[in-house]
Amino acid sequence: MSADRSRILDLLAGGKITAEEAERLLDALDARKGAAAEPSGSAIKGDPEPLIAALPKYLYVKVLAANGDNVDVKIPIVLVRSGLKLTSLIPPLAMDKINDTMSEHGMSVDFNNFKPEDIDELIGGLRDMEVNVDAKNGDTVRVYCA
Amino acid sequence: MNLPPMILDLTVASADRRPVHLWLPLFLLWPLALALGVLALALTIVADGVSLVLGRRYHHYTVLLVRSFEALCETRGMVIRFSNEKTAVDMTVQ
Repeated sequence: MSADRSRILDLLAGGKITAEEAERLLDALDARKGAAAEPSGSAIKGDPEPLIAALPKYLYVKVLAANGDNVDVKIPIVLVRSGLKLTSLIPPLAMDKINDTMSEHGMSVDFNNFKPEDIDELIGGLRDMEVNVDAKNGDTVRVYCA
Repeated sequence: MNLPPMILDLTVASADRRPVHLWLPLFLLWPLALALGVLALALTIVADGVSLVLGRRYHHYTVLLVRSFEALCETRGMVIRFSNEKTAVDMTVQ
Protein backbone atom coordinates (compact mmCIF):
# COMPACT_ATOMS: atom_id res chain seq x y z
CA MET A 1 0.00 0.00 0.00
CA SER A 2 1.38 3.41 -0.90
CA ALA A 3 2.06 6.05 1.75
CA ASP A 4 -0.56 8.39 0.21
CA ARG A 5 -3.26 5.70 0.25
CA SER A 6 -2.39 4.79 3.82
CA ARG A 7 -2.59 8.46 4.84
CA ILE A 8 -6.03 8.87 3.28
CA LEU A 9 -7.29 5.77 5.09
CA ASP A 10 -5.81 7.05 8.36
CA LEU A 11 -7.65 10.35 7.87
CA LEU A 12 -10.87 8.40 7.25
CA ALA A 13 -10.29 6.19 10.29
CA GLY A 14 -9.60 9.24 12.41
CA GLY A 15 -12.87 10.82 11.30
CA LYS A 16 -11.09 13.79 9.76
CA ILE A 17 -12.65 13.17 6.33
CA THR A 18 -15.88 11.53 5.25
CA ALA A 19 -16.10 8.28 3.25
CA GLU A 20 -17.09 10.26 0.15
CA GLU A 21 -14.09 12.54 0.49
CA ALA A 22 -11.83 9.54 0.98
CA GLU A 23 -13.24 7.93 -2.14
CA ARG A 24 -12.63 11.08 -4.16
CA LEU A 25 -9.08 11.35 -2.87
CA LEU A 26 -8.38 7.69 -3.69
CA ASP A 27 -9.82 8.15 -7.19
CA ALA A 28 -7.62 11.20 -7.71
CA LEU A 29 -4.61 9.24 -6.47
CA ASP A 30 -5.35 6.39 -8.90
CA ALA A 31 -5.80 8.86 -11.77
CA ARG A 32 -2.48 10.50 -10.94
CA LYS A 33 -0.69 7.15 -10.87
CA GLY A 34 -2.29 6.17 -14.18
CA ALA A 35 -1.17 9.44 -15.77
CA ALA A 36 2.36 8.98 -14.44
CA ALA A 37 2.57 5.43 -15.76
CA GLU A 38 1.23 6.33 -19.20
CA PRO A 39 4.35 7.89 -20.78
CA SER A 40 6.55 4.88 -20.04
CA GLY A 41 4.30 2.55 -22.00
CA SER A 42 3.57 2.51 -25.70
CA ALA A 43 0.31 4.38 -25.22
CA ILE A 44 1.22 7.19 -27.66
CA LYS A 45 -1.09 6.87 -30.60
CA GLY A 46 -0.64 8.49 -33.96
CA ASP A 47 2.34 10.37 -35.29
CA PRO A 48 4.71 11.48 -32.46
CA GLU A 49 6.57 13.94 -34.74
CA PRO A 50 4.47 17.03 -33.79
CA LEU A 51 5.08 16.26 -30.09
CA ILE A 52 8.82 15.90 -30.67
CA ALA A 53 8.88 19.08 -32.76
CA ALA A 54 7.14 20.98 -29.96
CA LEU A 55 9.97 20.22 -27.53
CA PRO A 56 12.55 22.97 -27.12
CA LYS A 57 15.78 22.38 -29.02
CA TYR A 58 17.96 25.19 -27.75
CA LEU A 59 18.53 27.21 -24.61
CA TYR A 60 19.15 30.86 -25.46
CA VAL A 61 21.02 33.30 -23.26
CA LYS A 62 21.01 36.91 -24.48
CA VAL A 63 22.83 39.65 -22.65
CA LEU A 64 22.51 43.25 -23.80
CA ALA A 65 24.79 45.50 -21.79
CA ALA A 66 24.17 49.21 -21.52
CA ASN A 67 27.74 49.90 -22.67
CA GLY A 68 27.04 48.21 -26.02
CA ASP A 69 28.49 44.75 -25.32
CA ASN A 70 26.11 42.03 -26.47
CA VAL A 71 26.45 38.31 -25.83
CA ASP A 72 24.21 35.79 -27.48
CA VAL A 73 24.61 32.11 -26.64
CA LYS A 74 22.63 29.24 -28.13
CA ILE A 75 23.09 25.92 -26.31
CA PRO A 76 21.56 22.66 -27.56
CA ILE A 77 19.16 21.24 -24.96
CA VAL A 78 20.77 17.81 -25.43
CA LEU A 79 24.01 19.34 -24.14
CA VAL A 80 22.19 20.65 -21.06
CA ARG A 81 20.72 17.20 -20.54
CA SER A 82 24.12 15.49 -20.95
CA GLY A 83 25.70 17.99 -18.57
CA LEU A 84 23.07 17.41 -15.92
CA LYS A 85 23.43 13.64 -16.30
CA LEU A 86 27.17 14.02 -15.79
CA THR A 87 26.56 15.54 -12.37
CA SER A 88 25.34 12.20 -11.04
CA LEU A 89 28.68 10.62 -12.01
CA ILE A 90 31.06 13.18 -10.56
CA PRO A 91 33.18 11.65 -7.76
CA PRO A 92 31.78 12.52 -4.29
CA LEU A 93 34.89 14.43 -3.23
CA ALA A 94 34.75 16.68 -6.30
CA MET A 95 30.98 17.05 -5.91
CA ASP A 96 31.35 18.21 -2.31
CA LYS A 97 33.83 20.86 -3.47
CA ILE A 98 31.45 21.98 -6.24
CA ASN A 99 28.55 22.21 -3.79
CA ASP A 100 30.68 24.15 -1.28
CA THR A 101 31.86 26.59 -3.94
CA MET A 102 28.35 27.11 -5.25
CA SER A 103 26.95 27.71 -1.76
CA GLU A 104 29.76 30.24 -1.16
CA HIS A 105 28.42 32.11 -4.18
CA GLY A 106 24.85 31.99 -2.92
CA MET A 107 23.63 29.05 -5.00
CA SER A 108 22.57 26.29 -2.65
CA VAL A 109 21.98 23.56 -5.22
CA ASP A 110 22.90 20.09 -4.02
CA PHE A 111 23.76 18.10 -7.13
CA ASN A 112 23.97 14.92 -5.04
CA ASN A 113 20.18 14.93 -5.00
CA PHE A 114 19.84 15.04 -8.79
CA LYS A 115 18.15 11.93 -10.15
CA PRO A 116 17.59 11.01 -13.83
CA GLU A 117 13.81 11.52 -13.48
CA ASP A 118 14.43 14.99 -11.99
CA ILE A 119 16.58 15.86 -15.00
CA ASP A 120 13.84 14.85 -17.43
CA GLU A 121 11.33 16.88 -15.45
CA LEU A 122 13.70 19.84 -15.38
CA ILE A 123 14.27 19.67 -19.14
CA GLY A 124 10.51 19.40 -19.71
CA GLY A 125 9.97 22.42 -17.48
CA LEU A 126 12.43 24.50 -19.48
CA ARG A 127 9.82 24.76 -22.24
CA ASP A 128 7.79 27.17 -20.13
CA MET A 129 10.75 28.93 -18.58
CA GLU A 130 11.71 32.48 -19.40
CA VAL A 131 14.00 34.65 -17.32
CA ASN A 132 14.08 38.40 -17.96
CA VAL A 133 16.41 40.59 -15.97
CA ASP A 134 16.38 44.36 -16.41
CA ALA A 135 19.13 45.94 -14.35
CA LYS A 136 19.09 49.51 -13.13
CA ASN A 137 22.10 50.38 -15.27
CA GLY A 138 20.26 49.29 -18.42
CA ASP A 139 21.72 45.80 -18.77
CA THR A 140 19.20 43.17 -19.79
CA VAL A 141 19.47 39.40 -19.64
CA ARG A 142 17.05 36.99 -21.26
CA VAL A 143 17.14 33.23 -20.82
CA TYR A 144 14.59 31.10 -22.63
CA CYS A 145 14.14 27.90 -24.61
CA ALA A 146 12.80 27.52 -28.13
CA MET B 1 24.45 10.41 -29.95
CA ASN B 2 26.00 12.86 -32.40
CA LEU B 3 29.44 12.60 -33.90
CA PRO B 4 32.07 14.77 -32.19
CA PRO B 5 32.25 18.37 -33.43
CA MET B 6 33.91 18.57 -36.83
CA ILE B 7 34.31 22.24 -37.60
CA LEU B 8 34.51 25.40 -35.56
CA ASP B 9 33.17 28.21 -37.68
CA LEU B 10 34.69 31.46 -36.45
CA THR B 11 33.97 34.92 -37.80
CA VAL B 12 35.66 38.02 -36.46
CA ALA B 13 34.56 41.37 -37.81
CA SER B 14 35.78 44.76 -36.73
CA ALA B 15 34.92 48.27 -37.84
CA ASP B 16 38.39 49.12 -39.15
CA ARG B 17 39.35 45.76 -40.74
CA ARG B 18 37.97 43.25 -43.20
CA PRO B 19 35.99 40.43 -41.57
CA VAL B 20 37.88 37.19 -41.04
CA HIS B 21 36.04 33.96 -41.57
CA LEU B 22 37.71 30.76 -40.41
CA TRP B 23 36.64 27.14 -40.54
CA LEU B 24 38.80 25.40 -38.00
CA PRO B 25 38.87 21.69 -38.84
CA LEU B 26 38.39 20.07 -35.46
CA PHE B 27 38.19 16.67 -37.11
CA LEU B 28 41.97 16.85 -37.61
CA LEU B 29 42.27 16.54 -33.84
CA TRP B 30 40.24 13.34 -33.80
CA PRO B 31 43.20 10.91 -34.19
CA LEU B 32 45.00 12.58 -31.28
CA ALA B 33 41.78 12.60 -29.24
CA LEU B 34 41.24 8.93 -30.07
CA ALA B 35 44.71 7.98 -28.84
CA LEU B 36 44.23 9.96 -25.63
CA GLY B 37 40.71 8.56 -25.23
CA VAL B 38 41.88 4.95 -25.53
CA LEU B 39 44.63 5.62 -22.98
CA ALA B 40 42.17 7.32 -20.61
CA LEU B 41 39.69 4.47 -21.09
CA ALA B 42 42.32 1.89 -20.12
CA LEU B 43 43.24 3.94 -17.04
CA THR B 44 39.61 4.38 -15.95
CA ILE B 45 38.88 0.66 -16.37
CA VAL B 46 41.87 -0.13 -14.14
CA ALA B 47 40.81 2.56 -11.64
CA ASP B 48 37.26 1.21 -11.54
CA GLY B 49 38.55 -2.34 -11.08
CA VAL B 50 40.83 -1.29 -8.22
CA SER B 51 38.04 0.77 -6.61
CA LEU B 52 35.69 -2.20 -6.86
CA VAL B 53 38.24 -4.60 -5.34
CA LEU B 54 38.97 -2.13 -2.51
CA GLY B 55 35.24 -1.89 -1.87
CA ARG B 56 34.95 1.82 -2.58
CA ARG B 57 31.44 3.10 -3.21
CA TYR B 58 32.45 5.19 -6.20
CA HIS B 59 33.69 3.19 -9.19
CA HIS B 60 32.21 4.99 -12.17
CA TYR B 61 35.24 6.61 -13.78
CA THR B 62 34.70 4.72 -17.06
CA VAL B 63 31.05 5.77 -17.26
CA LEU B 64 32.08 9.33 -16.42
CA LEU B 65 34.58 9.30 -19.30
CA VAL B 66 32.03 7.91 -21.76
CA ARG B 67 29.37 10.41 -20.67
CA SER B 68 31.90 13.26 -20.95
CA PHE B 69 32.57 12.18 -24.51
CA GLU B 70 28.82 12.15 -25.16
CA ALA B 71 28.53 15.67 -23.74
CA LEU B 72 31.37 16.79 -26.01
CA CYS B 73 29.48 15.36 -29.00
CA GLU B 74 26.34 17.26 -28.01
CA THR B 75 28.16 20.58 -28.33
CA ARG B 76 27.41 20.49 -32.06
CA GLY B 77 25.02 23.29 -32.87
CA MET B 78 26.24 25.57 -30.11
CA VAL B 79 26.53 29.21 -31.13
CA ILE B 80 28.29 31.97 -29.23
CA ARG B 81 28.08 35.54 -30.47
CA PHE B 82 29.72 38.55 -28.97
CA SER B 83 29.49 42.05 -30.29
CA ASN B 84 30.17 45.60 -29.27
CA GLU B 85 30.51 48.86 -31.13
CA LYS B 86 33.87 47.92 -32.65
CA THR B 87 34.01 44.12 -32.89
CA ALA B 88 31.72 41.20 -33.57
CA VAL B 89 32.74 37.58 -32.96
CA ASP B 90 30.61 34.68 -34.07
CA MET B 91 31.53 31.11 -33.14
CA THR B 92 29.54 28.07 -34.24
CA VAL B 93 30.36 24.46 -33.44
CA GLN B 94 29.41 22.20 -36.33
